[in-house]
This record gives sequence, structure tokens and C-alpha cells, in this order.
Amino acid sequence: MIYLDSAATTLQKPERVAHAAARAIRACASPGRGGHRPAMAAGETAFACRQAASELFGVGDPERVVFTCNATHALNIAINSLVEAEDAVVISPWEHNAVTRPLAALGADVRVAAAPLFDADAALAAFDRQLTPEVKCAICTHCSNVFGMVMPVEAIAGLCRERGVPLIVDAAQSAGCLSVDLENWGAAFVAMPGHKGLYGPQGTGLLLCGADAPVRPLLYGGTGSASLRQEMPDFLPDRLEAGTHNIPGVAGLLEGLRFVAKRGPEAILAHERRLVRQTREGLTQLPGVEVFGDSLGQHQAGVLSFRVHGADCEEVGRWLGERDVAVRAGLHCAPLAHKAAGTLDTGTVRVSFSAFNTAGEVERFLCLMERLTRGR
Amino acid sequence: MVYCLILCRSLTYAQRTAKALERAGISAYITRPPRAITGEGCGHAVRVPQRRLSDALRALARVGLPAQRVFVSESDGSYREVAL
Repeated sequence: MIYLDSAATTLQKPERVAHAAARAIRACASPGRGGHRPAMAAGETAFACRQAASELFGVGDPERVVFTCNATHALNIAINSLVEAEDAVVISPWEHNAVTRPLAALGADVRVAAAPLFDADAALAAFDRQLTPEVKCAICTHCSNVFGMVMPVEAIAGLCRERGVPLIVDAAQSAGCLSVDLENWGAAFVAMPGHKGLYGPQGTGLLLCGADAPVRPLLYGGTGSASLRQEMPDFLPDRLEAGTHNIPGVAGLLEGLRFVAKRGPEAILAHERRLVRQTREGLTQLPGVEVFGDSLGQHQAGVLSFRVHGADCEEVGRWLGERDVAVRAGLHCAPLAHKAAGTLDTGTVRVSFSAFNTAGEVERFLCLMERLTRGR
Repeated sequence: MVYCLILCRSLTYAQRTAKALERAGISAYITRPPRAITGEGCGHAVRVPQRRLSDALRALARVGLPAQRVFVSESDGSYREVAL
């Protein structure tokens, strides 16, 4: 199997991830629920994971690292905390349904900071224009899940700070390979999954909360603290963590975070960019293949989309799948991004890489694509 | 042994507190405090030797984790709140 769908979930994980999750199933109970050894072991695992995340992502204290089920869950909490019906919210054109659907459900006045693909300067200028005084919140993906475009989040965060607009960053595709720095950005929230570039198990995610961000719970229930009160605790992380934690997942995520910290996000990004470049150069040689890539490579991470003229992208995905190459075809839960890029009618085929992919795998994928497109 | 309990609002806060004390060379561990002193029910506390309480309070103030409420154990098993 050549697995090129890490933008959805990294399949290949460090060995320690599965071992840690299995150990936690046997040895850990629930953090904060009881003072016995299995409960304390769970608490130590959770705290170690919060600490590892706070160090990697520039969070001042580990209490502001909140466990969630995934990035979507984290984004829902963030959006629900900052946005009310009819509030003006500026978003990038590359947002996932995890952003646009909660905004639609809340009845927000959504304004898209439209700019061409891979044009970071235009993206910044669009935010500059859209961040008018009535705007209540800005939301920006750090990296498009469809096209791999890296957004100038640091500069956008600067604009938001200047204008007093709270910023939510969707780091679903960037956590683990791009620099994520909550305090430096001054963002209200940064949301990320555990199961993609952090190499944790599915069912894990993190919400990093700014020191002054207002936080409104999505779930209400037991927290192992202040139990006599019927309101949720007013302190983090308990305010946003009702119910029993996914401790096997957290234990696995801790090992994933350690893997990323040890290898270094910069090294992982450089590796993925090499594979993207190899893929882009190979695909552009093939007849009838349209590749959506940043020719300079400066504004693209480890995700690349393409389409084959005259071939349905789902058919291309199926054909590759039958030959043991896993890619993702369709709209990638991001119709807004496809609309912005002009690919809404066709969708695209997406390849996405992890630290475990190799140049040899890309070579074999390109050979198959050469077979598929021969004679076009 | 006479000991003190530093009450903490959450397990995570207790963990930060215990780590800070360990870094300062003060033996500390997390425990569930008796119901009689938790006030709001279900809480966590960090247990330190009474003779190190002053050092502990100073260390916590230095790292921005000031103690809110502290209790000292009595020989009859009860707890007395320490004025901070």
C-alpha cells in the first residue's frame, strides 16, 4: 500500500503511539476521577500531553491546552465561544466545512477574504480590506486541506491584533509541520487534530486557548472538580472537558507529539515539500493532467491537488485504490475552497504526505499515473 | 507526620503546582482532599511537609501559581486553615 492520504489521517504512525495507547487501556482510568493509582496514571498522561503540546505550540501554560475529539470539535468550541447570530465573521476562501457549517448554523454574516490560490500577498491584502470595525471574529486556515496553500497566518494575526479582532486558526493541516505559536500570534484559539500531522490516534484533537479568550462550553457534565456547582467550572481545561477523556488516545497523541518534537516540524516540512515537488514535476509531464501547485514551493506544504481532463476524479481515485495507492478524490469537505479555485464542478484528486512517505513511493505513484494517462 | 494541603481548583492546576514545587526541590504530591475542606466538592490538593510550607508558598508565588487556600493537618485527623 502506498498511502498518500495523510491530510485526512496519517495511517503510518510511530510504533510508540500504538504501544502507548495499548498500555493506557490496561493501566489508566480517568483523570481527576479518584485518587487511586490508575486515575493518577491517567492524570499524569494527560498532563504530560498538555505540557508537550504547550511547549511545541507556544502556549503559556498547559491548562490552556484542551483535549477534543478532533479539529472539528475544537473549531466548534472556538466558533461557539466567539460568534453570535448575525455577527460579521471574516474567513479565508480555503476554509473547511468544519468552519463554514458551524458559522451557517449560527447564522453568522460570513465574509470571504477572496484571493487567488498561492498568492500570500493577495491573501493578506484581502484580510486587510475585510477586517472592518464591525467584524467580530476572523477565521483562517493555516494550510488548505485541498491545495496545501500555506496562508500568511502570522501577518493576518498581526492585522487582527491591531484591529482588536479575535482570530481562530485552523491548524488541521499545519500542526506538526509548520510553526504554530499561539502566544506569538496572539490568537484567541488554535484548533488541531491529533490524528494527522501529530501522528496520534483518531478521536484526538487539541484546542489551544488564548489567555484572554472567552470560552463557552459545548458540552456540560462532570469534570471531577467543583462538583457542587451546577454551572461548568470557570477555569480551563475543566470548563471545556466535560465527561471522561479518551486517555488511550491522549497517551498515543503524547507519543506522536514527542515524535514530532524530536524530528522537528521544519525537517518534516522539508521532507514533505521534497515529495510534493517530485509529484508536481512528475504530474506536469503527463498529458491532460492539471496540477494545482505553487511553482516556487514557498506557499505550499505537503498537500497537492490535480485533475485529469476527461476523467472523473472519483474514477481516478478508484483506479489508484485498486492498485493499492490511497488518495482522496472529490471535494474534500471544502466546497468553498473548490469554488475559489474553480474546481467545484469537477473536484480534484488529492495526494498528501507524511514523514513516513518516500521518494520511491512517489515514483511508483507517478508510474501508475503515466499508465492511466497514456494516450490522452 | 504533620503536612499541609494546598487546595487546587483542578487536577491540571494541582499538577502544575506539584511540578513547580518539585523543581524548587520541595517534595510534593497530588492527593484528593477530604470532603470537609473542599468547599465546592470534588477537588485536588498538593501535599507538602509543613516545615517546607513557607518555601513552597514563596516558590509558587515566584512562578505565578499563588496558593489560594492551605490547610494543615492536626494530630486528631482534622484540618486547620492557614491564614495566607
